Amino acid sequence: MKWVRVGALLLVVGLLFGAAAWMRPFGRPSLAEMDAYFIQKAQAEAGANNVVTSVVFDYRGFDTLGEATVLFCAVVGVALVLRRVLR
Amino acid sequence: MTLWGVLQVITLVLIVAGAALAVWLRDLLAAVIALAAASLLLSLEFYLLQAPDVAIAEAGIGAALTTAIYVLAIRKTRRKEEE
Amino acid sequence: MTVVVRTVARIIAPMILAFGGYVIMHGHLTPGGGFQGGAVAASALALLAISFGFGRWKGIKAPLSFLEDLGALAFVALGFLGIGYTFFRNVLAASGGLFGAPVPPGPNPGLLETGGTLPLMNWAVGLKVIAGLGSVVLLLGLFGGEDDR
Repeated sequence: MKWVRVGALLLVVGLLFGAAAWMRPFGRPSLAEMDAYFIQKAQAEAGANNVVTSVVFDYRGFDTLGEATVLFCAVVGVALVLRRVLR
Repeated sequence: MTLWGVLQVITLVLIVAGAALAVWLRDLLAAVIALAAASLLLSLEFYLLQAPDVAIAEAGIGAALTTAIYVLAIRKTRRKEEE
Repeated sequence: MTVVVRTVARIIAPMILAFGGYVIMHGHLTPGGGFQGGAVAASALALLAISFGFGRWKGIKAPLSFLEDLGALAFVALGFLGIGYTFFRNVLAASGGLFGAPVPPGPNPGLLETGGTLPLMNWAVGLKVIAGLGSVVLLLGLFGGEDDR
């Protein structure tokens, strides 16, 4: 049973290394049309120098709304579980 | 290999060492400190990969707040891990 | 905690809070934003709470809940501001009004009064993250009674 586990672990490690060798060269992501669009147009459209922020809060605002909802749910969950301390 | 690459390899090896230490240590407080060190090194690695946004978030959440929450949880429970 | 921890926390916590405020305020110009700056500022709150004991922070729970709700509502309201076009449309950008200065093109240090709704949303999310994470740490610390060691 132990050797099965070791074999499975070695298999997973080998697969991960194979995937790493099969990846694109580091620092050269695959080309996409949206990258150039954001980098060229974000300053004029969103009016901010930080393109990441203009993507997070303007182009992909729904994502940020979802993230805020997740955080809110987490805080509400903690407050519900630990609500005895409030009394 | 450039200086950048050498720095990156050192950082990655130290991250793995910190994570392994966090699993291996029996004193939970020491394990939490090892996890915080690994998290801080991970934020350095994000900075080296030119993602300062993620680096700030990782340093704030991973290194500071998670450590605080774990320390609070250990203070409320036991410090030593039991078999 | 010991006097060493308290002294270091007293010196370093205002600096962390100021850095968090800087990251939130300049979120549309420099790396960072509401979430990152809020996390940094909340870590300062956690440092203060852990080093000085949780007993004296019990009264801050209600203001933190209020701030969290305020941040979330302000974020959604700013999203609804552009409902004339689409949800989350940046109507304030380059309009000449609040945060509406035109942006000089190309690489430049940037102006603080640019960005339209982005800085306001940064502040909303920053308030929300500070209040949320701070109240999580506070609740965990207050749970199960006070044992100040």
